[in-house]
This record gives sequence, C-alpha cells and structure tokens, in this order.
Amino acid sequence: MKPFEHHSPNSLEQAFDLITQDDNNSYYYAGGTDINLQLKSGILAAESLISLKNLSELKGIEYKENNGLKLGALTTLRELQRTKTIYNHYPALSQAAGLMASEQIRSFATLGGNLCNAAPSADLAPPLIALGAIATISSKFGEHKVPIEDFFLGPGETVLEEGEILMQITVPPPNGETLFIKHTPRMFMDISVVCIAIRLLMNNGICNEIRIALGAVAPVPLRAVNAEAELAAQPFSSNNISRAAQIAAEECSPINDIRGTAAYRRRMIEVLVRRGLSSLNENYSKV
Amino acid sequence: MTKITSSIIGERLPKLDAPSKALGEATYGHDVRLPGMLQGRILYSDYPSARIINIDITRAIKVTGVKAILTAEDNPPTRFGYGKDNTPFKGQVVRSMRDEVAGVVAVDQYAAEEALSLIKVDYEPLLSIFTAKAAMEEGAPLIHPEHGSNLFHAYNYNHGDIEKGLAESDVVVETSFRLPYVSHACMETSVIIAQFDHRGQLTLWSTTQIPSLLQRDLSEALGIPGNKIRIIQTTIGGAFGRGLDIYPYEPIAALMALKVGKPVRIAFSRQEEFLAAPVRQPVEVSVRAGANQAGILTFRDVNATLDIGAYVSWGSVTPLVMMETTASLYRIPHVNFKADCVYTNNPVTGAVRGYGNPQSTFFVETVMDQLAVELDIDPVEFRLRNSNLPNTETPQGLIITSCGMQECLEAVFARADKESDAKNHIYKDLNLRNKGIHDSTKDNYLKRGIGFATTLNVGGGARIYRSDGCGATVKVDDFGHVTLITGATEIGQGSETVLAQIVAKTLGVKFGDVAVINSDTDVKPWDVGVHASRTTFIAGNAARIASLDARDQIFETAAEILETNPSELVSREGLIMIRENEQRSESLERVVRRRHFQEGGKVVIGEGWYDPPTEQVDKNTYKGNISAAYGFGAQMAEVEVDIETGMVRVIRLVCANDVGLAINPMAVEGQIEGGAQMGLGYALTEELIVKDGEVLNPHFSDYRLFTSADMPDIETIIVETDDPEGPFGAKGVGEMGGTPTAAAIANAVFDAVGVRITELPITPERLLAALDNN
Repeated sequence: MKPFEHHSPNSLEQAFDLITQDDNNSYYYAGGTDINLQLKSGILAAESLISLKNLSELKGIEYKENNGLKLGALTTLRELQRTKTIYNHYPALSQAAGLMASEQIRSFATLGGNLCNAAPSADLAPPLIALGAIATISSKFGEHKVPIEDFFLGPGETVLEEGEILMQITVPPPNGETLFIKHTPRMFMDISVVCIAIRLLMNNGICNEIRIALGAVAPVPLRAVNAEAELAAQPFSSNNISRAAQIAAEECSPINDIRGTAAYRRRMIEVLVRRGLSSLNENYSKV
Repeated sequence: MTKITSSIIGERLPKLDAPSKALGEATYGHDVRLPGMLQGRILYSDYPSARIINIDITRAIKVTGVKAILTAEDNPPTRFGYGKDNTPFKGQVVRSMRDEVAGVVAVDQYAAEEALSLIKVDYEPLLSIFTAKAAMEEGAPLIHPEHGSNLFHAYNYNHGDIEKGLAESDVVVETSFRLPYVSHACMETSVIIAQFDHRGQLTLWSTTQIPSLLQRDLSEALGIPGNKIRIIQTTIGGAFGRGLDIYPYEPIAALMALKVGKPVRIAFSRQEEFLAAPVRQPVEVSVRAGANQAGILTFRDVNATLDIGAYVSWGSVTPLVMMETTASLYRIPHVNFKADCVYTNNPVTGAVRGYGNPQSTFFVETVMDQLAVELDIDPVEFRLRNSNLPNTETPQGLIITSCGMQECLEAVFARADKESDAKNHIYKDLNLRNKGIHDSTKDNYLKRGIGFATTLNVGGGARIYRSDGCGATVKVDDFGHVTLITGATEIGQGSETVLAQIVAKTLGVKFGDVAVINSDTDVKPWDVGVHASRTTFIAGNAARIASLDARDQIFETAAEILETNPSELVSREGLIMIRENEQRSESLERVVRRRHFQEGGKVVIGEGWYDPPTEQVDKNTYKGNISAAYGFGAQMAEVEVDIETGMVRVIRLVCANDVGLAINPMAVEGQIEGGAQMGLGYALTEELIVKDGEVLNPHFSDYRLFTSADMPDIETIIVETDDPEGPFGAKGVGEMGGTPTAAAIANAVFDAVGVRITELPITPERLLAALDNN
C-alpha cells in the first residue's frame, strides 16, 4: 500500500471542494471496508482519500408510514440489520444486511459504500431494487435522483460522476411481501454465489405487483423483468412459478469464477426464484 | 489434620496459556520489536517456470529507507531442505510462483514494498508442468535436472499377496479419488526475526515447531555452525504442521540481518501466507479392495500420485502415513501400497495436521462403506468385524497394545437416532433417521443421512528421525516453586498445561505451583519437534521421569528430617508425609531449603530423557513399529443434503476417541473439536485453488474455513484404555479429531442421496454434478 493523503471534511462544501473536475486519484469513502482491501492489494492507488463520516447530511434513518424509509448513505449494515422499523417493514433489506460479512465489518460498512463499490454481488442492491428504492445524488452543481435499478453501470461502475456523492436512499412505503435469499457455501461471512430478492403484492389471489431482483449473475444487479411479466395479473400456480423461475435464469448473464460456474449460477437462480415465489405465495395463502 | 485430596490427572483444568492469550498479553512473533529492527520483504517469481535473465535493482535501491537488496548472489554455497534441492534465493531458474527472486530490507513496509515494485526482473519463460502425470511423461522437462527425474521418490509397500486376496474376495470395489490443496490458515502468518550479535551469534525469534532440528537445518542452509544459532520461540499463533520444516524465508531473514548488521523481521501478509507457505499435498489415488461373504476384508490395493510441488518438503513423506492407514486400519491380510511423489511447478507441499491421514482415511473409509453396501452388511457391523484389536501386531509391524476402536465405533453408533423412519436411507438395516424436517415442500429437496468412519493414528510418537526423544528438567527452588524446562513446544495444543499436570501429580505439588519454560534452545533440552500427536506421550514421559528424579532428591532430604526411609514417604500439594502417618510431614520448600543451604548443599534439579521403544521403518519394506502406542477413533456425521442446490449441511458430528487416559478431558475435547473443524473444512469448503501454478484464492473470503457459525454440534466421547507405556496411561490425540471427518461426511451424503463423492471438498456444484450423473 502506498502512502496517501487523508481528509475528513466537516461540511458537504468542503467535501465537494476536495475533488476537482479532472482529479482521478482522489476517492470518497465511508466505512472503508472495501477500499481498504483495494488499496492493500494494489488494485487501487489513491493519492488522497476523503472520509465522508463527518457529514451529517449523509446520516440518519427516518421512517414514516406515508413516505417510507429515508436512509442516509452512512447507515451501517449493522443499523440496517438491527433497526426495528427496518426489520419490521423491510425484512428483506434487514436480512440482506445481516447476512453480509461479520459483526465487526457490519459495524463499519455502509449502505452507500456497498452500492458505490458496485460489486455485481452487492447484497443490498437486489432488495433495494425489489423495493423500488431511489438514490439521491449531490454535487456542488445540484442534486438529482436515480432509481437503484439504474444506479449500476458495470462491475465497480455507477452513474456517479466525478465529484458526486451518494447522499441518501429513499424506499417507498412497504407494499406487499418481501423476501431475500442468499446462496453461499458457508452460512455466514461469505460472498453471494447468487442472491435474489422478491417483492410481491397479491390482491384477491391475483399478482398485483411483482419485482424480482437478482445478484451476482450479471455485470450489475439485475431486475428479471421478463419473469415478472410472466406472473403479472395472474394467480400463482406451480406451473407459472416454475416458468417464471426458468425465465429469470435465462435473463441473467452470469460468469464463471472461483465462486461458481455460470451454469451453476443460472441453475441456482431458477431454484431460488422458484422457492422464493412459492414461499411468498404460501404466505399469502395463509392470510 | 484434614486429608488433602487432589487428583490433578483427569481434571478439567483451563489451559495455562489461555488467559494471557485472551487478554492480549502474549507476545506472538508479530509482536516482537527489537531496537533498530528493519523490515524484510521478498519478491516472488512472476512465472511458474522461467530462466532469470537479469535482475535490475538500480531504481529500487534508491528508494528512501531501503537499506539493502539481496539476490541469489547473497546465497551461501550450500543447499538445504529434505531433498537438498532448495536455496534461499533462486539464481538461474525459478520453478514455482513462490520462488524467492530477491529481497528488500528497509526501514518500514512502505519503503520495502515500493522497492519491491521497482525491482525489474527479466525472465525467459520455460515450459511448465502442472500435473504429476505430465511430470512423469517421457521427455517432460526436468524440474531439477540434477535429480535426473521428476519422480522424487516412489514408495512401494506390500504385505500378503494381492492376487490371493482377490481370489478370496466375493465382492471387489474399485474407486478413484482426487484430493485438494489445503492451507494451514494459521491465524498468525509466517514470521521471523533474525539478529546477529558482535560474536556472530545468530538469534532467531521464530514460530517453528522443530527448534532443535531447525538449528541444524539453518546451520546447513547458512553455513554457520549449529552452536552459533539460538532459536527463541515466541507465542505461536497457529502451527498445524506449518512449522515442521525450514523454509527459504528463514535463511533469507538471517542473510538480510547479516548484510545490514541490524535485526531484520520478515512477516508475511495474509495473501503472501496463502501464496508462499506450504500446503497439504493434492493426491490422486486409485483404490481396489475386496471382502468375502462373511464380511471379512481380503485385500486393499492402493496406487497414489502426489504432486509435491517444486521443492521437497515433508509433503513427500506423507505416503508413510497413508501407507499406515492403508496397511493397518482394520485387519487386512493382503495389501499393496504404491505412491509416486512427483516434482511439478506447483506450490511446495508440506506437513499439515494429520500428515497424509485425512487423505488416506478418506479413501480407505469410503471404500469400506462401498464394500459394506456391496455385501449388504450394516456399515458399522462391517467395521466392527474387521476392527483393530488390542495386543495384536499388524502385518506392517505395528504393535498395537491398548486399542479402543470397537468401543469408539459402538459409542458413536449408540448416539445415532434410531427412532424415526428410514425412508431416505440407503443402508436398509440401520433404520435410522433423525427427525427435524416436517415441512412437506422442503422434504422434497432436503434429504438426511448418516455416515461413519474410523481412524488409526500414531499415539506414542513417530520415529521418523533417528531419535524420537524429548528432554526435560524439573527444578524446585527454595520457595517450593517448580519449573519444568521441556524440549516440547506449545503450539496452542495445550502441552504446557498437560505437562504441568504430569509434573504436579508426580512431584506432589499444586498444579498452580508449576511453571513451564519451553521456548529457548539455549535453555531447553533437545526435542525432535511437535508433530505426530507426540507431545503428551513423549514429553509427558520425559517430564514424569524428570519429576521422579527431583522427587527422589527431595525425599532423600525429607527422610533425614522426618527420620525415616525415602521409600516411606509420599507427597501431596507441597507436603512431604510419611505414608503410614501423614501427621508427620514437612513442607516442600523447607525440605528444599534444608538441602540447599548447608555446607555441601545441593539444589533440586531432576533430569529426564524419554525416547520411546520404537523403530524407524525399514528403508525397503517400510515395516516396523514406528510408534509406542496407537490412538483410535470413530466419527458419525449426520448431514442434510439439498438436492436442488447441492448444499450439504452437517447437523451433528459425533466423535469418539481412544486417548488411553484423558489427563485433561477439557483439553482433549478441545483437540477433537479443533481437529473436527479442520476435517469439516477439508470435507466441504476448503480448497486452495491452484491453476497453472498460481493460487487463485489467496484470501479468507474465498478460502473458506468453517467458521463458528457453520460448526455443527460436535459431540465428543472420550474412550479410555489405559495405555501401558503412556504417562498415566495417556496417548496422543492431536490429529485424530479431523482425520475421519471427511469420510464420515461423504458416507453420510451417500446415505442421504445415494451418490459417492470421491473428490474433496464436496462443493455444492460437485455434488449437484454427481446427482445429475446418477
């Protein structure tokens, strides 16, 4: 690891000013759990690191029944896991956070960091996509909003431009049942071979809204729109559940790596989507 | 006066070294700081096989803070290692990606790293060999041309007559196995600090497991007399066999210290540890075995090929242990065992806990299970019929005295749940199934099964060197404080605690009054090293002999004070008493002072040396009684297999071990549980993925150890057989906890879903592929 400058700005303005337009070697960071490894392994050579930890604009968890959930980008995984309102209203998000890394890392790692690091296997992305969450992005030139499903451009790449900071994630009020399934050889402290999140809203036995999001099976976290279409406005049956699961497997474009082959990942998507849909459907049947 | 009762032996005493480790007081190798100490870093090869054309250090040496850069030009003219095929730095050619090309000494890690990145090495890549098969092909390039062949050594063992065994067989099975690279994954990465003083005396702070032999090895590697080398062992943060050999970074640190005239520390990063520390050797094995209709084994024929990597370390000797399992686990009249140890351009393989036994127990016990199925005999019954027995000699020449193998098997079998239905079970006779999954949808894809495996392991040392001995000194000072100075090494296994228990019991003092000194070759007597589950047995006997010597000296003086014969005396909790009249007593410290502070006085120092009554195996036949006692064990695994994802979850692991006598049952349980943790990883998740000579997962995120969250309930059962030679009847237990685990799990997987997995680890993908083929 090479020596670098370190800044801890106390205001958003200072943070913006620390990165100039054509500055390619300065990086914003929050928990530091990803960037630290990248620096140590030499993947990243930074001249300066800018900590966002002191910025109050990026902090806070606020839930309102009508507006939903507002999460500051600095919200830690541990907070996502342990905050009661999140656990009660957005269990898939809470579970995804709780299954990541270790207790120690979860205390440092942040929501914003997980999204901005943009690993295809970022576990928070699928539940946020399924929930229809929206990112608020700021720079010294203003603010704009991007749905999380459009936030990722490729491995390690997001819509963030130089000098932009991910400020906040807004999650609409809970609407339907959600679920997150992570498939890993180990039970904890493992990176997803694949993961899925589903949100389902059933009215009178008919699928009113469905969102299926897939992780670690494409360059970016993915929405399985064709699989969703297969189920829209219909009652669930084992037939259309199986078909939707197959379609979801076809929609993804996984790679071979040391965590799994493309074929295995595709197959797991089919298994998990089928199990996820069946399980959500069962929940509705029980009501 | 109330009678003082104290057992000490058999007590569940917490480890002596546990509080200092838990509180952060212990000084590990990484904690050592010496005045003026510099940091050493190693540049490894970019190629698995290449000629070094040129090394340009002109830019690197200019980095601020860099004190020296070393290359093969700094090597002494000698070669080292078991195969005498290694040098600190590599000069003309590199033979693996962990080959040391250059080294930087700098004031800190940053300067050292920058310099490393600026050393320019020109290579001419050479044809590389990544499989043992390719290495053995006609015309394959020679990894070490001076050796004349890529076959380093071929083991060839036989007893009985395979053809006869085949003729006597009613069933024969034949199976091939592939076993992976595994890392020790010690919590503390490899580390060494080297310092020369004004007399040219070299002191090393090291985490070695073989201080006495390392002196000799380093002497050879550096061309320095052994009496000029002192090794101080720090608290060791994990060893598991890693510290059993000399590795290039050790002489490199000494060469660096010599060159700069300052102490130099080399501490591996985690990535470096995965890339450059030795690994468990991968094996390809084909096994053929038979049995007759009566369920009696007829023969076992094993052909193994071991990829030992680019240099020889102890990985090339593991066939000795595989051979022992093959020839002597169960009574078996006809056995062939062949193993070729082959050089390749892959990582160097070394000793890892179990030392060949996890591999061989996996293939032997899988085949045992296959035979039981072929014979339609309950697999436990089949094992019991062929079990090793006490007071027998195996055709290999192992003299088995105490043996609780049948008790172990029966004990784990008794824990199996026999109440529920057996619809998933392949073993019709067992009628076992654990309850748990009742959800009808889940029941379709979750299948449960149970599996068994046993293990045989040396439990009374292992004579692989001409001496298997250990020395001990017991000193009692004028406060009655007792110090055991032992050759044995504490690597977290609990040896300090157990040895202190042995001394306290023998000498008749309180456990808390015994301190153990075991970390400095200038102080401690010779010991061959901490390996082969030998410390409790060998160092324990040495400590006991030294304690008896000290006790004789104390009793001599006490008898004068109490006006009786030494033979009339007993000692307990620091009091020397007349056996028939315990009111007449004297305290230990007063006895020692009396002996000491008089004209012609003496200090109490007891000496002990124990070298077990064993032999090295014959160089040609590989027969002989290598150990003074043998440990046995059995495990039962209960698994749940997800047939859609291929995931295997171990629900329970029941481990029974014949340990002779448990000097400290809590420590025994710890050893079994720790061994099982490594066995579970070997079975299901651990694999160092090596492709074209390169390690692809040199980090804990993709080298998956079993974490505490993944651990199933480990139920330990201690079987006691009172070994005639062991201290207080004890035998070794250091390695048995993990040796049968993979086989028990694979057999349980078969029970659950009817497929045999013969390649470890049993990854979800591998299992799913096997299910597809079924």
